[in-house]
Amino acid sequence: MLNTLAQAFALISTWEVIIAMFAASVYGLVIGSLPGLSATMATALLVPVTFYLSPIAAIATIVAASTMAIFAGDIPGALLRIPGTPASAAYADEAYAMTRKGEAELALGAGVWFSAVGGIAGTLSLMILAPPLAEIALSFSTFEYFWLAFLGLMCATLVARSSPVKAIASMFIGLLVACIGIENPGGVPRFTFGMTNLFGGIEPIPALVGVFAVAQVMRAMLTPEPPPIPRRKFGSILAGQWKLTKKYNWQMTRGNIIGIIIGVLPGAGADMAAWVSYAMSKRFSKEPEKFGTGHVEGLVEAGASNNASIASGWVPSLLFGIPGDTIAAIAIGVLYMKGLNPGPTLFTEKASSMYAIYLMFIIANIIMIPLGIVMIRLASYVLRAPRSTVMPVIMLCCAVGSFAIGNNIFGVVIVATFGVIGYVMEENGYPVAAMVLGIVMGTMIEQSFVTSLIKSDGSIFPFFERPIAAILAAMAIGALIWPVLVWVWRRLRREAPAAASAR
Amino acid sequence: MRLPDRVTGLFLVGLGAAAAYGGWQLPPVPGQPVGPNVFPLVIGTGLALCGLAIAFGIGHSFEEEEELIPVEGGQPPPPTGKFYGLRALLPPALLLFYVAVADRLGFIITAALIVFVTSTALGARWKLSLPLAVLAPIGIHLIFSKLLRVPLPPGLLPMPW
Repeated sequence: MLNTLAQAFALISTWEVIIAMFAASVYGLVIGSLPGLSATMATALLVPVTFYLSPIAAIATIVAASTMAIFAGDIPGALLRIPGTPASAAYADEAYAMTRKGEAELALGAGVWFSAVGGIAGTLSLMILAPPLAEIALSFSTFEYFWLAFLGLMCATLVARSSPVKAIASMFIGLLVACIGIENPGGVPRFTFGMTNLFGGIEPIPALVGVFAVAQVMRAMLTPEPPPIPRRKFGSILAGQWKLTKKYNWQMTRGNIIGIIIGVLPGAGADMAAWVSYAMSKRFSKEPEKFGTGHVEGLVEAGASNNASIASGWVPSLLFGIPGDTIAAIAIGVLYMKGLNPGPTLFTEKASSMYAIYLMFIIANIIMIPLGIVMIRLASYVLRAPRSTVMPVIMLCCAVGSFAIGNNIFGVVIVATFGVIGYVMEENGYPVAAMVLGIVMGTMIEQSFVTSLIKSDGSIFPFFERPIAAILAAMAIGALIWPVLVWVWRRLRREAPAAASAR
Repeated sequence: MRLPDRVTGLFLVGLGAAAAYGGWQLPPVPGQPVGPNVFPLVIGTGLALCGLAIAFGIGHSFEEEEELIPVEGGQPPPPTGKFYGLRALLPPALLLFYVAVADRLGFIITAALIVFVTSTALGARWKLSLPLAVLAPIGIHLIFSKLLRVPLPPGLLPMPW
């Protein structure tokens, strides 16, 4: 084991790996912090570069860029309320509220500090828990997947601050959007209205850019320019983080664990980890009323969670070639390209390469703290720039970024459409985040739902027969019933005093 | 653009019903009990039920008014005018404008127009918006076209790199 570790050190202490890692870190930070450019896109754009690198250096770029991009997504979320990556969408409102309260340092510091802690926790899980956890996830059938996806969607309705009925309606709208295209059980064009561009379905990223970025520019058009934020130096970014770590120790650990579990499960990545952890934080908090008004607790838990899921997403990828999330799916492609074919034998035959991957994850998360602080200080100039210079550039990024996803001009039409949809929904109290989650998870939930129905021959009982499926089902249905119970209880309580006073 | 819940709720009922009907019309997979038609049927029904609930005000008591954190210095009252509300439609309109003319005019010219209009609409003077309209498209072009290899349309004014 020590021998393998020494070999791994030798593998990564070459100039090629060090330079590749540093360059990819800077790249990941910049792309992740640019709204509309997600961590997945940053990683995908790196693939051509990895052609020219050695296997370990190629994996180093993927590891570094994805880790940095997930954290960097917090920066525009906090400063502009536009999450840089979907994984930051769950708590972008919260972080932005903190910035408006003048606590930008604390919000961004919590982002970088708890992301690093989460990333290292995720790596430890990758090292220690990989085999048993992967076995549990492997025994999942479509029934469990269906309930898991359902639970994830219910979580989206719990994080919303509006009425749960409107949140569920938003979720259904998102699922309906995911129905568009020919990627369905029958392979027939569904809701495409004869438009060839819709055959491939609605890509989540342009839709996300639309509802978060374009709608934000639209709101800026109608709201008066906020008074200039007083010129001040950013205080110490890490000040108070150690205090937060001690105060929210349990929340941080819970975020790490949730992130690790969700990362391991195929199809569910950093964004779902952040949603679930944020919802969990709100539900179990001692002061849930502070959520949404600039309270750091949810940031701690969700920030620790989404970065933890990045490393643990590699668990099923390395062991079985099943991607834990979209970034891991790209990583699998690179692994095959470099002759490191995923499989349990990787851990015996190429043990030093595996240890090198662990080490790179840990190093990436450590250098994220200094690099992240530099990035925060540079990015915070955005705060001082007048809105009339920031918004036009955001408009250009929306247009070009959505075009770049598929080199298809139709992406820009989608962005514009979802800008209007997002704006109207937000104005009327429909949480757009629930719709976004519906769009992202629609295909997965439909596949698991329809496959399960085919397997069970149309019967509903097999959905509850397997033990893990039954547990997940109970949790999901509980989350669905919960608002109804609260509503009935409130109703009864309101009527009881009324009846008493009438007497 | 704040509409009454009754309007949005009834719109969702219509949307859900249309989706359920459209899903129901889809051809089933031969020999299989469930096909592409089941999911839209479930979603559409759910959406229509939610729409009904919203239209009748169920769950409204959960809604919290958004607490705006006051910014120091207080906010000036927003100017009002007949067409003021329509300004919100400017960003999507500009994006559609990009779709329509980018191929003919090229990225640089189209982007410069978008930047100039957006910047002016947000209250910038020409001393700020004009240099921005020149510099921002070139910068974006450098990042996306040169570094990320996104094929942006050259049009009338191709860049020398």
